[in-house]
Amino acid sequence: MPDIYHFFQMLVNGLNVGSTYALIAIGYTMVYGIIGMINFAHGEVYMIGSYIAFIAIAGLTMMGLDSVPLLLTGAFIASIVVTSAYGYSIERVAYRPLRGSNRLIPLISAIGMSIFLQNMVLLSQDSKDKSIPNLIPGGFTFGPGGASEVVVSYMQIVVFVVTLLAMLGLTLFISRSRLGRACRACAEDMKMANLLGINTNNVIALTFVIGAALAAVAAVLISVQYGVINPGSGFLVGLKAFTAAVLGGIGSIPGAMLGGLVLGVAEAFGADIFGDQYKDVVAFGLLVLVLLFRPTGILGRPEIEKV
Amino acid sequence: MATKQITKLFAAMVLAGVASHSFAADTIKIGIAGPKTGPVTQYGDMQFTGAKQAIADINAKGGVDVDGKKLLLEAKEYDDACDPKQAVAVANKIVNDGVKFVVGHLCSSSTQPPSDIYEDEGIIMITPAATAPEITARGYKNIFRTIGLDSAQGPAAGNYIADHVKPKVVAVLHDKQQYGEGIATAVKQTLENKGVKVAVFEGVNAGDKDFAAVIAKLKQANVDFVYYGGYHPELGLILRQAKEKGLNAKFMGPEGVGNDSISQIAQGASEGLLVTLPQAFDQQPENKALVAKFVADKKDPTGPFVFPAYTAVEVIAQGIEQAKSEDTAKVAKAIHDGTFKTPMGDLSFDDKGDLKNFKFVVYEWHFGKPKTEVSPQ
Repeated sequence: MPDIYHFFQMLVNGLNVGSTYALIAIGYTMVYGIIGMINFAHGEVYMIGSYIAFIAIAGLTMMGLDSVPLLLTGAFIASIVVTSAYGYSIERVAYRPLRGSNRLIPLISAIGMSIFLQNMVLLSQDSKDKSIPNLIPGGFTFGPGGASEVVVSYMQIVVFVVTLLAMLGLTLFISRSRLGRACRACAEDMKMANLLGINTNNVIALTFVIGAALAAVAAVLISVQYGVINPGSGFLVGLKAFTAAVLGGIGSIPGAMLGGLVLGVAEAFGADIFGDQYKDVVAFGLLVLVLLFRPTGILGRPEIEKV
Repeated sequence: MATKQITKLFAAMVLAGVASHSFAADTIKIGIAGPKTGPVTQYGDMQFTGAKQAIADINAKGGVDVDGKKLLLEAKEYDDACDPKQAVAVANKIVNDGVKFVVGHLCSSSTQPPSDIYEDEGIIMITPAATAPEITARGYKNIFRTIGLDSAQGPAAGNYIADHVKPKVVAVLHDKQQYGEGIATAVKQTLENKGVKVAVFEGVNAGDKDFAAVIAKLKQANVDFVYYGGYHPELGLILRQAKEKGLNAKFMGPEGVGNDSISQIAQGASEGLLVTLPQAFDQQPENKALVAKFVADKKDPTGPFVFPAYTAVEVIAQGIEQAKSEDTAKVAKAIHDGTFKTPMGDLSFDDKGDLKNFKFVVYEWHFGKPKTEVSPQ
């Protein structure tokens, strides 16, 4: 019987997963919005972010640090800095030399980059699962108990708060700052922006860095919440985040945020109604449905033919 | 200049190869095939440890007596990465290397394809780890195993649950793969035959990280016992998330979840987990001397596949001695007919090449402490 507690439990779980999808989806959508390319190595960028977080937490713990806020801050800083550097280098090495060539060529370069990164981590960190202890155990419980209760773990609250802050920061950055305006200009019309004196190469590099930084935030959150990382974990998460980006309307930042949340919630309820084995079927079925009726996604604008 | 040196070097290598080959002529080569890389490397390590120790022990006693002539065993190691395609390549290499006896492979999915090649080429294969019933169900003469079958493990777990745990509401989960779903289905059938109703029977996605939905469902159904057919990465996460969400249920799984990684992933939530495993041969008093040897070599004797691998080599060696020949057809017949004294007890094989009377034992897992045996003797 779907009682009200069960409903809210599903909603909380779905929003939790959805917010991490949203964070990663922004990396796909921003890159697409500016250079019209799908960065298929983005899932691996996320995976690298989770390894950096693991190394940072392990390293700081070994140095005798046991304060959870400091550990988390350390993991966030290390992961964001290193992962952003990866984002920048990937753009520099694999995409910039190919800009202006046929659209398919950077796509293949991206797939190659993804295989390279995955195997690099596989060889340097070995293939066994690494585990991160639960830094913030416990949570709030609502309801009379037993089957009718809603458990919201502290970690889920951290995920919501951090995601919200990151989204808010990004929205302010894009709408208020000079660089944000440059980003919007490039998304609108790259050639014109270039003519007006915007260094488009820097703007493109910046979008890769922002995407990687948000993926790093998601990586720290997911790794600490679930506690297990392995070199293959980027693929599925990347695929889901890409789906979220397309669902919300690829190229649109609010679309990626909304798409992530919708996908997460749909998965949670889908798994509940049809069984966990049909979770992915529900997720991708939803994508097909939305694209049938709104080919540009939920918030995507129809492409304007540039003449 | 550089080319000349390389040619010289190459010539030297070829010579060295020929030399070592001529020395190796009066040894019996034992191929050990299993994963040395990839996600299940730790199980592969158990197999290599056991088989190499057995070869060293037999050689220390002077080797294998083939009709009055003592021959030493020579270990040749192959990495199949638990990948069916690579396993076939490995099998072909084993054929080309002239190896006649193989201990391996490890994963069921990468054991079945090579076994076709071995049967055709008259090579004897004994797997110490692959548990899928299909492997020995095809009437092959040269394929044996020194471990139990999935079709036996499921009923063992089901009977234990029904007779000793006696839970109120049972859920059976699996990872939708050959091994996991096979065992889970067998457990479900056994339970239902015993009159225990299975409230939830569901698959989860292997490789997934979030199991909140399925846990919420278990909680809603007031489940107090969960059987999981699959491997440790998913069950570890399920245990951890179930504890966070306040699901008060006892968990149980097959030997695929029975290793140290599960406690690393699940942290404290692995406390009290039940696991069906082959008997812990390293705990038995008559194997004390052998365990001491493993420890002296800084090897871990506790893995579930160490002793089956050791035993597989023993069976090959004793089979050769009983057949008084290296001819694989005669050895295969000797293995089918004979009884073998091994660290796993006195063993004999049935017509399919499976062990007669292989027992599974239920263990309880403890976080930060060694597992304890809980099944009634």
